[in-house]
Amino acid sequence: MTMTPLRLNTDIALPAGYSEYEIDSDRSLELTFTADTKSDVFIRVKRADHIRIRTFVKESAEVSFLFWNVSGLETKIDESYEVMKDAKLTIAMGECNESASDRRTYVALRESGAEALVCSASLVQSKKNYSMNVVNFAPHTSGEMRNYAVVLKSGVLMIDAIGTIVKGAKRSENHQTSRALSFEDGQKSTILPELLIDENDVQASHAMSIGRMDDDQLYYMMSRGLTPQQCTTLISTGYLMPITEVIDNDELREKLAGEMERKIGELCSM
Amino acid sequence: MKTLEIRNLHVNVEDKEILKGVDLTVNENEVHALMGPNGNGKSTLLAAIMGNPKYTVTEGTITYDGKDVLAMPVNERSIAGLFLAMQYPQEIPGVTNSDFLRAAMNVRSETPVSLFRFIKAMESTISELQMKEDLAHRFLNEGFSGGEKKRNEIVQMKMLKPSLSMLDEIDSGLDVDAIRIVGDAINSLREETGMSIPADRNWRRRSTPKAMTGFTVNLMCCPQLKRKAQSVR
Repeated sequence: MTMTPLRLNTDIALPAGYSEYEIDSDRSLELTFTADTKSDVFIRVKRADHIRIRTFVKESAEVSFLFWNVSGLETKIDESYEVMKDAKLTIAMGECNESASDRRTYVALRESGAEALVCSASLVQSKKNYSMNVVNFAPHTSGEMRNYAVVLKSGVLMIDAIGTIVKGAKRSENHQTSRALSFEDGQKSTILPELLIDENDVQASHAMSIGRMDDDQLYYMMSRGLTPQQCTTLISTGYLMPITEVIDNDELREKLAGEMERKIGELCSM
Repeated sequence: MKTLEIRNLHVNVEDKEILKGVDLTVNENEVHALMGPNGNGKSTLLAAIMGNPKYTVTEGTITYDGKDVLAMPVNERSIAGLFLAMQYPQEIPGVTNSDFLRAAMNVRSETPVSLFRFIKAMESTISELQMKEDLAHRFLNEGFSGGEKKRNEIVQMKMLKPSLSMLDEIDSGLDVDAIRIVGDAINSLREETGMSIPADRNWRRRSTPKAMTGFTVNLMCCPQLKRKAQSVR
């Protein structure tokens, strides 16, 4: 499978099965994706000034995006997704690069049966700023956000996660979990979990934790011979790795897992 | 011969002195049972030997194979051959048993353990301890029952092959059959490697490690562990 380069504004009808793209542009970029079947999409973000993404997930379509940010420059992404009747959308953001990111994600669950999962895995060494809003516009829709971050020295993490259920979106669900793990002093993490609910007959929840690695866990792992750095690497990898599972492609998953392990190993040893 | 020597050991926990001058010698191939009522410092002694940061050694020495154990960080104590099967093993979500154990085996070896060799050893140990086949892929102790956690400690011990294993209440949470399985596993490793074992038991319980044969009972009672009470064969 060859990686399709994306350098100019492009409209893409996603093919069935697996496809991969690389964003490599020295200017701003506007991309429009349309999905009407089952598609797994891997997008490597190498370079772009400002990326705008619009996606339409048509009735009964099922699409999974895995964005893998390897840019050495600050990345700005504005993205919106429209999910129609009985369609399923998964967005996974792998943010393990050393540069800053500013990402604004808007997901609209427009028609009944629409489902969306938005997840991120971040190894934060600079400033990572995410604002995400998943909105249930129709009854029987389901949205979920899962954010996992390991915040390293001098890293600054900001997550503003909003779950919105509008009036009339009965029997809908909107859930979110955000967790940030740090290993030493000097990092800053801010997570704002918000639920804006204007309907009674719904299910919604939020869970959030920010904290250091547990000293008892560290002692337990070290008591089997691992150095503190090895413990950090193992725990961080376990924390972030599940993001690669959204794409049904073993070869890609192994490649990304290896890349993530290497990156975590490098950054955790600094 | 690798010998653990503890001399005049004083240990504090949160400024309270728990051990007030413990002397103990454990030679290679010896099994010692540390016995005494709750709160007398049996677990504290084992934790202090392993280097739990919650326990502060204020006086005394611990040497193993002539090396100053107290000068070593926890991971170096492990590599030196010490192993503590913990009373309350930690749950580590996201880290699989196999990743953890393979990393722990690799730090003991100059060249990384081959995947084939590791899988064979893991499968054989899981089978010996009669644990579920998916153990290797489960997260470390996460969602394990009390008994499974204890057996998993022994799986780790068998894989890492320490020269001195400390077993802290290893039988608590185990049913009768599991005690036999764990006892057999400990004895077989002992025969294979000649490791020595100080084991912590509450003295009121009747099932003192019968599964282990040929052990020395050390009474942990006030003023402190000073006398070796009896040898049991």
